Amino acid sequence: MSLGEPNLIAITFFLVFIGLSLGITVWAARRTRTADHFYTAGRSVTALQNGLALAGDYMSAASFLGIAGLVSLSGFDGLIYSIGWLVGWPIVMFLIAEPLRNLGRYTFADVVAARLRQTPIRIAAAIGALAVISFYLIAQMVGAGNLIRLLFGLPYESAVVIVGGVMLAYVLFGGMIATTWVQIIKALLLLGGATLMALLVLARFGFNPLALFEAAATKYGNGVLSPGRLVNDPIDAMSLSLGLMLGTAGLPHILMRFYTVPDAKTARTSVGYATAFIGFFYLLTFVLGFGAMVLLGRDAITRVDAGGNMAAPLLAEVIGGTPFLGFIAAVSFATILAVVAGLALSGAATLSHDLWVNVVRGGHANPREELLVARSATVLLAVLAIALGITFKGQNVAYMVGLAFAIAASANFPALVLSIFWRRLTTRGAQVSMLAGTASTLLLIWFSPAIQLDILKNESAWFPLRNPGIVSIPLSFAVAIAVSLLSPVGAEQEHFDRLERQLHLGVE
Amino acid sequence: MLTACMMAVYFGFILLVAFNKPLLGTRVATGLSLGMLLGASVILVAWVLTWVYVRWANTHYDAALERLRS
Repeated sequence: MSLGEPNLIAITFFLVFIGLSLGITVWAARRTRTADHFYTAGRSVTALQNGLALAGDYMSAASFLGIAGLVSLSGFDGLIYSIGWLVGWPIVMFLIAEPLRNLGRYTFADVVAARLRQTPIRIAAAIGALAVISFYLIAQMVGAGNLIRLLFGLPYESAVVIVGGVMLAYVLFGGMIATTWVQIIKALLLLGGATLMALLVLARFGFNPLALFEAAATKYGNGVLSPGRLVNDPIDAMSLSLGLMLGTAGLPHILMRFYTVPDAKTARTSVGYATAFIGFFYLLTFVLGFGAMVLLGRDAITRVDAGGNMAAPLLAEVIGGTPFLGFIAAVSFATILAVVAGLALSGAATLSHDLWVNVVRGGHANPREELLVARSATVLLAVLAIALGITFKGQNVAYMVGLAFAIAASANFPALVLSIFWRRLTTRGAQVSMLAGTASTLLLIWFSPAIQLDILKNESAWFPLRNPGIVSIPLSFAVAIAVSLLSPVGAEQEHFDRLERQLHLGVE
Repeated sequence: MLTACMMAVYFGFILLVAFNKPLLGTRVATGLSLGMLLGASVILVAWVLTWVYVRWANTHYDAALERLRS
């Protein structure tokens, strides 16, 4: 077992990746002159490129290490995450991608604010977006710190600082152009690495996945192939699934990517590519998870990390030796870097475009000022990410990501969908919905068994579910609709009629 | 329409997971439980629906939008 010791091959791969991506950043920096370049890569990304970048932005360490680990320890239950994280994509495609591209400029709040009053909408949307980004950042930074400590033998804190520093370099100098290319390269590395690994696993089972699943059932009982204790409570299972599905359509860093393409048609095609890549990847997690279960065994996995997060790297070592472990370690690291860069960029867009330019400056900042503010916001976010990573050391990564999805599904998704499809939505309705979605999710999480019983060690929890989605998402929709109907604003409905052509047709 | 299809398929699957665990544990072939088969099928359905939408939008929807624009 060579985990936890400095691994020469891993470090070499890692340095090659860093070198290559910083080279791209230098190239991208020369092309990043305006705010448009910084936020959207000049809207010149092709459908295939954006599809890969979306996949790279979305498949985080939680997807790769987390799901592989979960499947290796609990079998079928882990697959519920794989499936839930994929089915959000068709929803994004059918409901959101094209209108978003037609009406917005840099952030998803653009779409909501375009038809309603700017200031209250931007502030409420920024609160929701920053809450999602913060929890997502915590998960990625904590994951990165643990991963690098285990794989390279570096101390946790220095690992977090390295991730924050490299991410800062990408985003600060290269903006969206560099971030896009880092995400594309990462997606290719991750898809290639996972495919190779799945093939090496399947080679041991005569290239028959069923033989692999049968071996798992023989080793740990038939229970691994059917739903287990993760879904003991049916309502909780529904709640988790709802959050996973609708959360995707409310993630600021994913929605932002639709602005990097030239038009709605390209946005649509890029989601098609992204869904294909991500679905393929999640099918691979079936093989990787069960492969780790059979070839390593649960004991060997939990001995290294109780949460199972090291199942994939351990599996790589068993089937491909130290060189393959080094490669997979470097891929995992690249995975985290690309996601963190996307998050930081969307956070910077929220702070500078939504809050500074449109709220503080009333929409009248000059482009140079906007770029300067966006870059300052990036530095701020990098410092914040490092601080959060060190503060939340030891927290459960998958849970933090689940929390981010729940907030995204409750705070951002209802207001976004209603503002695209519902004529009678009012400013007050959208504002209350976004604030109620964020607040109710946070409160319900706080009162849930996960915090009250597991962390605070209290006797009982006031809210019975671990996943708040089934309450907070309908609540957010309900308050938006109720508030809008109780105090209708005729002028806002007429404004929507004028915008509808642009929303669906993409003409000014 | 397609959104409703996707949600129906997915929540149908989740309801089975939540309320009828033994059924999903049934073997349909060596090494393949019904739950695993349905889970993989949900991913395939997501692919197919997305593909159907892109095809439909590229051929019919865009043409209709073009007519509305002019």
